[in-house]
Amino acid sequence: MARIIVVTSGKGGVGKTTSSAAIGLGLALKGHKVVLIDFDIGLRNLDLIMGCERRVVYDFVNVINGEATLNQALIKDKRVSSLSILPASQTRDKDALNKENVGKVLEELGKTYDYIICDSPAGIEAGAMMALYYADEAIVTTNPEVSSVRDSDRILGMLASRSRRAEQGLEPIKEHLLLTRYSPKRVEEGEMLSVEDVKDILSIPLLGVIPESQAVLKASNAGEPVILDTESDAGKAYQDVVDRLLGDTVEFRFLTAEKKGIFSRMFGG
Amino acid sequence: MADASIEFKGTSFTLSVIHLKTSVLADIRADLVKKVAQAPDFFYLVPVVVNIEKIALDLDYQAIKTLLTEFNFTFVGFTGSISKEQRNLVRELGFSFVNTAKAKVVEKTAAAAPATVEQPPEEQVENTVTPVASQLYTDKIHRGQIRSGQQVYAKEQNLVIIGSVSAGAEVIADGNIHVYGALRGRAIAGAKGHHKAQIYCQSLEAELVSINGNYWLSESMEKDWGSPAYIQLTDSELTSSKLI
Ligand SMILES: Nc1ncnc2c1ncn2[C@@H]1O[C@H](COP(=O)(O)OP(=O)(O)OP(=O)(O)O)[C@@H](O)[C@H]1O
Ligand SMILES: [Mg+2]
Repeated sequence: MARIIVVTSGKGGVGKTTSSAAIGLGLALKGHKVVLIDFDIGLRNLDLIMGCERRVVYDFVNVINGEATLNQALIKDKRVSSLSILPASQTRDKDALNKENVGKVLEELGKTYDYIICDSPAGIEAGAMMALYYADEAIVTTNPEVSSVRDSDRILGMLASRSRRAEQGLEPIKEHLLLTRYSPKRVEEGEMLSVEDVKDILSIPLLGVIPESQAVLKASNAGEPVILDTESDAGKAYQDVVDRLLGDTVEFRFLTAEKKGIFSRMFGG
Repeated sequence: MADASIEFKGTSFTLSVIHLKTSVLADIRADLVKKVAQAPDFFYLVPVVVNIEKIALDLDYQAIKTLLTEFNFTFVGFTGSISKEQRNLVRELGFSFVNTAKAKVVEKTAAAAPATVEQPPEEQVENTVTPVASQLYTDKIHRGQIRSGQQVYAKEQNLVIIGSVSAGAEVIADGNIHVYGALRGRAIAGAKGHHKAQIYCQSLEAELVSINGNYWLSESMEKDWGSPAYIQLTDSELTSSKLI
């Protein structure tokens, strides 16, 4: 049975697409069959982050409308053969999806893939609800600031009430907290919430903490998910996330600010 | 002047309240059609009070009554936390203004209009529900965190929450509220008028607490902020105390 995982947040721009791409690629590199679905209809950008934007012929909406088959629309990743991407449409709007047909597409994909990763649009409207409806698990992507945490809390309420699992009284969606753009220095300076603060407010298990990193922007521009940058903090942190998703116990790192060298300490730099 | 044929007594009834969100009659009519279609028998001759606190003065009061009568409701009067001006208008037009315990408190500063309704003739309608102090409520138990945007209401019950109440969430009970976790959202106890209701929580960090219509915002909770605490009403004033 495929695991359907939605990457969601409520608030926009917190790192859902960055995380979907990194985690999807990471799972595929571990030998699993993975499909990444871009649910952000009208604001297609998963394909950009994955570096396959020039190979988009058909999209998710075409498949939903029966204008293309799944095989025609799926784009095989050039780096890892067990990874495919189902791009969003740039020209339609979020109402182009409907529950019944999305369900059919997911069921079809479930026959082939081990992991179906759904990159949700921001907000709590129809598009985001569609992305989370069929999920078995949710990666609740949150930045360490009050408004993002509040929106994640709202989304957690939706996961517990508006999903298929909730409607049918099945076992609830498994929730994971992914804290992104974490800056230990700013936490120490009291400008951001700490991991503990966020865990305390949301009270769901922590899947990972991704540090704020220049490597992410570089990776996006290059169309190479940051997990491939194995030298970077963000790349390593995403690798840990993948290992944890696969059941390993991995210690959390990058939670504290780098210690200043003796020189700067002496001169108060 | 002892009149043997009639006797006036105060009794309380539960009345249905229709909250108006617009003064556009066509919209109200459309929604009534939908609502009544769901359960026509249920609404037949049901007495209703219309809450107009969200509506400006330009409402066509008579048309509302006519509309409800047309749908076979029994129109009783208007209610809501509205200005004295609007209350007077309602009464000048010949309609009853029905006070609830809640509305009275909100209007504390403004001179409140008479608290009772003149009709129906045999008995007086005071509140939607009697706040009987000795009333023993049962418990409604909610397991798990109540998230931002969610609302839980324990109608004629106490509310016990095993988990925290997030900022942006709202818990309401006609009886007491117990939160086995942090209270960060809004908690409204004694919602239908019950001055002995209390609120208990393991960490007081609420956006708002209210008992019997008296409320506090966070800024009033400074003394016991972040501590296990309970809130109660003493002589119409909220007070908080540490639990341990
Ligand atoms: N760990 C990080 N460090 C630095 N920048 C980051 C990090 N994660 C994400 N970003 C940046 O934040 C911006 C938003 O990221 P992304 O597009 O992944 O968010 P999103 O949640 O998918 O946004 P949307 O809600 O618009 O879909 C991008 O510019 C990205 O490069
Ligand atoms: Mg995105």
